[in-house]
Amino acid sequence: MSRLLTEVRRSPLLAVGVVVVTVLATVAVLAPYIAPFDPKAIVGNALEEPSSRHLLGTNDAGADIFSELVWGARSTLVVAASATALVLAIGVLLGLVAGLRGGVVETLVMRSADVVLAIPAIPLLIFIASMAGPSRTVAIVSIGLLGWPQVARVVRSQTLSLRNRGFVHAARGYGADPLFVMRRHLLPALGPIIAANLAFMAGLAVTIEAGLAFIGLGDPTTASWGAILERALRHQAIYVTSMWVWWLLPAGLAITVAVLGFTFIGVGLEPRFNPRWTRFA
Amino acid sequence: MSRTAHRTTGPLPDASEEEAGQTEVVQEAFEGRRTRWAPILSYALTVLVLVTLNFAVPRLMPGDPIDALLAQGSPNYVADDAVREELARYYNLDAPLPRQYLSYLANLATGDLGHSIHFNRPVSHDLRERLPWTLLLITLAMILSIAIGLPAGIHSAWKRGRRVDRGLLGFFLSVQNLPIYFVGAMVLLVFAARLRLFPLGGASTPFADYGPLATVLDVGHHLALPVLLMALQFAAFQYLVMRSAMVSELGADYLLGGRAKGLRKRRLQYAYAGRNALLPVITVIGMQFSLAVTSAIFIEQIFAYPGLGLYMFNAVFVRDYPAMQGAFLVLTVMVVTANLVVDLLYRRLDPRTAA
Repeated sequence: MSRLLTEVRRSPLLAVGVVVVTVLATVAVLAPYIAPFDPKAIVGNALEEPSSRHLLGTNDAGADIFSELVWGARSTLVVAASATALVLAIGVLLGLVAGLRGGVVETLVMRSADVVLAIPAIPLLIFIASMAGPSRTVAIVSIGLLGWPQVARVVRSQTLSLRNRGFVHAARGYGADPLFVMRRHLLPALGPIIAANLAFMAGLAVTIEAGLAFIGLGDPTTASWGAILERALRHQAIYVTSMWVWWLLPAGLAITVAVLGFTFIGVGLEPRFNPRWTRFA
Repeated sequence: MSRTAHRTTGPLPDASEEEAGQTEVVQEAFEGRRTRWAPILSYALTVLVLVTLNFAVPRLMPGDPIDALLAQGSPNYVADDAVREELARYYNLDAPLPRQYLSYLANLATGDLGHSIHFNRPVSHDLRERLPWTLLLITLAMILSIAIGLPAGIHSAWKRGRRVDRGLLGFFLSVQNLPIYFVGAMVLLVFAARLRLFPLGGASTPFADYGPLATVLDVGHHLALPVLLMALQFAAFQYLVMRSAMVSELGADYLLGGRAKGLRKRRLQYAYAGRNALLPVITVIGMQFSLAVTSAIFIEQIFAYPGLGLYMFNAVFVRDYPAMQGAFLVLTVMVVTANLVVDLLYRRLDPRTAA
C-alpha cells in the first residue's frame, strides 16, 4: 500500500487513474444507497426533463436515468474486475508454466496464444454472446478466455530472462523449491508489468461490456451504461430535441471516464518497467 | 535486439520478447527452414480454428438450434415447412457429430453458408452484396489513418517535449481510448442531425438517379463521417508507435551527418529517420485490421451503412443463426487474411527477416 502511494506521488497520471477508479468503485458498492430509485422500475412519466426528483430525467419507459447510471457503475466494475481476475489467473499460470517448463508445453502454450491473439476478439464475443443469450457470466468468461495471451506472453518472456539471473540460480543452489522461487523472486519482479497489463485489460473490458450492451447483448436483468446508449439512440426524438444532453451524454461520458481511468493507471505504471518511457512520455 | 524471425503472428514491437534461453543456437538451425512456411501454417491453423468455432458454438448452446429458432412465440417463428427443411438440411443435426462437421466443411467448400431465416435468402448471396461496402469503408479509413497518423507521429517526435508534441500526444491518447460507439453517436447527432452537414445514414441517396461523378460524390458524402471516425481511431495507435520509434531514431549519427551535409529537414524526417522507424508501425497496421472490423460493426450500425457489420448486427437482433455465422466467418477470415498479407510484407521489408 505504501509502495502504491510512492508511485502515485511520482506520476500524476497514475494518481488521476487511481482516483477515478476509486470513485467508480465507491459508487458501485454504494449503489443502493446513492440511487434514489430502482433502475428498472417505472417511477415517473415517460421522458420527463431533469428535475429535483429525477436528476437526469426519465427514459421512454419512465425509469429514472440517474439511478440507471449509478447501477451501471456496478455492472461495469463487476465485469471489468471478474474478467481481469480471470485473465490474470490464466495468463500468469500459463506464462509461468511455459517459461519454467519449456519444451513441448511451452510450444503448445505459445502457439495457442498466437492463435487466440490472431482471432478478432470482439466479433467472436458478439458471436458467442448472441448464441448463448445475453448474460454477464458469458461475457466475463469469454473475455477471460480471449484475453490471457498478452499476459502469458509477458510473463513467459520475463520468466525466461529472470530464470538465468544470479539470484535465481543462487536460490536454486540453496535448494529452494520452484514455488518459493516463483513467489520470492519471479512474481515481485513481474508485478508492475502485470499490473499495467491488467489495467489496460480492465479498460478494454469496460469498453466491451458497454459495447455488447450497445448492440443489445447486455444482461437484461441489470442496468448498464451501454444499454442506456442503445435505448436512447433507438428513440427517434433524441435526434431532434435536447434530450440527448441528459439521456445520452452522461452514460457516454461515464464509459469514457471509466476507460480513461484504467488506461491512466496502465500508462502511469509503464515507466516502472520500461525506462524508455520516462524520457519521452 | 534479436528480431524475432520465428514469431508467427506478427512480430510485436516488443524488445523484451526474445531474451530467451541458451538453446538459441540449436533453435536457429531449425528456424531457418521453418520460418518461410511459419506464417502460412499459422494462418491455416487460425482459419481452421475459426471455421471450427463457427461450427461448434451454435451446437454447444443448450437445446437444438432449429427448435430454439423456430419455436412458436420466438420472433422468427416460421410456419413454412420449406424453410424448416432447408435448415434441417443445412445443420444436418440428426447425423453424428463428425459427420455433421464433414458435411459442414463440404458445404463451406462449395460456398454454401446456409439459408437466412429472417431474410429468406442464401446467406452467401447477402454477404457478397455487402462485402464490397465494408471493404470500401475499411480501405478508405486505413489509407486516411496512415496519412494522418504517420506524419503526425514524425512531426511530434521531431518536436518532442514542445507544445505541439504534448497537444498531439494528448489528443491521440484520448482518441485511442474513446469508445467509438459513443463518439460515433455524438458525431451523428451533431453533424448530421443538428447541423445537417451530412446525411443521417446509408451509403447513397435512395432512388437518386445520378451520373457517374455525382454518384461518387454522393457516396463520398455518406462515407465522410464514418471514414473519418474510423481513421482517427486507427491513426491514434499508429501515431503513438511512429512517434516512439521515431524518437529512438533521432539520436542516430546518420541524422547528424545528414544535417551537417545541409539536407533539408523534410528529407531527414521522412526519407531518413521516418523510413527507419517504419517497421514497428507496419506491424501495428497489420494488427489493426481486427480493430477495423470491430469498429465497422459499431459504425455501420450507427450510420445505417449497408455493410457486413450492419448485416451481423441485424442478424443478431433477430437471432438469425445462419446469417450470424456467415457474417462472423467472413469478417474474421478477412482479418486473419489481412494479417497474413502484412506479415509477409513485413518479412520482405525487414532485411533481417527477408529471405
